[in-house]
Amino acid sequence: MHNAIKKGLAARGREWRTGWAFALPGLLLLAIVMGFPLAYACILSISSMTLIKPQLLPLVGFKNFASMIGDSLFWNALWLTVRYSAVTVVGEFVIGLGIALMLNRTVRMKPVYFAVLTIPMAMSPISVALIWRMLLQPNLGIANHLMETFGLPRLDWLGTPGMALWTMAAIDIWQQMSFVVLILAAGLAALPRDPYEAAEVDGARGWQQFVYITLPMLRPVAAITIIIQLINEFRTYDLPYVLTKGGPGNATEVLSFFAYRRAFLGLSLNEGAAAAFVLLLIVLLLTVIFFAVLERSQSGEGRK
Amino acid sequence: MTWNKQTLIKMLMTAVSGAAVLSASLPARAAEPITLHALMEDVPETKIIEALLPEFEKQTGIKVEFEKIGYPDMHDKLVSQLTASQSYYNVLEVDFLWAGEFPAAGWLADLKPFVEKSKYDLTPFIPSTLDLLGRTKDQLFLVPMYNYSMGLLYRTDLIGDEKLKAAYKTATGKELALPTTLEDYVAISKFMKANAGVAGAAMQGQRGDPNSMEFSNYLFSAGGSYLNADGKASLDTAEAKKALDLYVDNIQHGAQQGAVSATLDDTMRLMCSGSAFSMVTYWWMLPQMDDAAKCPTVAGKVGLSVMPGGHGESGGWGWGIPKNTSPEEQDAAWTFIQWVQSKDVSVKRALEGHAPVRSDVYDDAAVLAKYPFYKTAGDVVSTGKSFPIFTYSAQYEDLLGTQLSLAAGGQATSEAALKAASDGLQGLLDK
Repeated sequence: MHNAIKKGLAARGREWRTGWAFALPGLLLLAIVMGFPLAYACILSISSMTLIKPQLLPLVGFKNFASMIGDSLFWNALWLTVRYSAVTVVGEFVIGLGIALMLNRTVRMKPVYFAVLTIPMAMSPISVALIWRMLLQPNLGIANHLMETFGLPRLDWLGTPGMALWTMAAIDIWQQMSFVVLILAAGLAALPRDPYEAAEVDGARGWQQFVYITLPMLRPVAAITIIIQLINEFRTYDLPYVLTKGGPGNATEVLSFFAYRRAFLGLSLNEGAAAAFVLLLIVLLLTVIFFAVLERSQSGEGRK
Repeated sequence: MTWNKQTLIKMLMTAVSGAAVLSASLPARAAEPITLHALMEDVPETKIIEALLPEFEKQTGIKVEFEKIGYPDMHDKLVSQLTASQSYYNVLEVDFLWAGEFPAAGWLADLKPFVEKSKYDLTPFIPSTLDLLGRTKDQLFLVPMYNYSMGLLYRTDLIGDEKLKAAYKTATGKELALPTTLEDYVAISKFMKANAGVAGAAMQGQRGDPNSMEFSNYLFSAGGSYLNADGKASLDTAEAKKALDLYVDNIQHGAQQGAVSATLDDTMRLMCSGSAFSMVTYWWMLPQMDDAAKCPTVAGKVGLSVMPGGHGESGGWGWGIPKNTSPEEQDAAWTFIQWVQSKDVSVKRALEGHAPVRSDVYDDAAVLAKYPFYKTAGDVVSTGKSFPIFTYSAQYEDLLGTQLSLAAGGQATSEAALKAASDGLQGLLDK
């Protein structure tokens, strides 16, 4: 009996060691590529490091965070980021769901539509921004030319303070929507047919089937899609950098662009790191929500 | 085989002598040819130099590669290389706006020892072009490359048009002529927009470098300045308010649609396409506009003058050498700088439209014969004033640009924008 316990413990020890031996290279790699930059950014955010005086010491505690929080531009950037993220995610989801529902029906040349839909997603955001900047150029761009052809007034898409953020959001929706379509289309394709057949027998109309069957069953996939996109949108940097440089005024200065300005134009790597850290905390919070939703949807499916 | 001590020593000796014979039989490794990499602004000046590079390579065996990008991306790209252990760019094109920051951060090699060692003559350089780049008695971090003083480019055909002259006389009681004051310029710009079917001014109002540089011309022409005699911020003055009011008036009522978000490229395209009467810009844009192949609509119809009011913004680029490069690369970079700023090469560049920094090029007979307007260009350069140059110039440009953009978009009054810009400047000066 005593020997059996010993053997069991030895086997468990071997298993434990083998497990760690397999996991260690990956964990070390993660620690190098993720842990080190993260720890460095954390130290940077409480340091006195600037590009002019490149030394970490003395550490200044939360002074950089306090200086950022005391800056009205930070709150403006945060509020813009929240509005921008909300509008883009809702836009991407609503339009993406509509397209996914259309493609879910038996249509001809479905693969062609999917292929076309992936084109914006495959393009780099910088290229997308440069292309749209040309299209929306107020004097020589094609957008205003078309507006004029249809008897509509020319617009200053990126130069009007009240319009610039929403123009940027529309471009973002155009690019990111294809990802939402693909995920939702996959979710729709995986839904069981039985509830629909039962509903048809009970005389339920199309919209009733959508509201009472499709939407509830699609909820886990939809929640994940929304959270992923929300995280993406919070990190938006490329579009304001290329399209507007945060202007006109501060109309498109989202949080990541604010952090960039602090670090590279203000030469204050420490303050830039503090701003980036706040952004990271928000994204982390959203990631936690994402995994919580994922787990809940999985356990919900398990109970079914 | 027994691995005793003797066998091991024999094997080691054989290996060492073998290696020695092998290395002796190989030819000495030739020194690696040096390639100079420079990050350059994508403007005509860069292309002019690029066309001459094969000549330099033939003379020295040193290859030079230019990576051309837009101005807004240059600062960040350079900083990331200059803060690295070794910079990929081993010869630098440095804007005067960074001439405070880069040496303060310790990123540039002092060129004074290079000048002394090679007995390089700096006297032909216009003194203000050296001062603009932070030259002191003891140190020289940048050698002037070209200047970018700003003046007024205007359409001679429109200002001389009889119908427009008559209409202007009827509307204002004044003669339509080249404006000499800022007020007259803005009035003519608005008139042209309303009557000539073109934008009165192609303006570059995007926040940051474009609108800060453009506004500086208005400020200096209105008699304002960024700093007072004591070196303190002085933007909340009557002259600055007049300048900003006129700037906002022109961008809202005289300029092209979309001026608030426009960049230098946008204004160039607009002027080149014949859709604008004027633009406040770098004087060396004139040869580009006069090029019938590139701008057939306006070639031969564009003139240059000093900024109405008498003073434009004056800036310049310089050549520098990063500290974080090898001595061999630094020597090669210095060889290149001497060559590219020599009289001969400067004249060749000027004949293609270069904006000289050497006085002997402005006086060169061949240059004046080809470009008579270089006389006016000389006036533009000599009357130009500089944006404040200090460690945080780039940040100040962004800060000022934001306030100008707010005012231009109607989101801030000129008083509020100027107070914020002035306070911001003082804050950065005190930092």
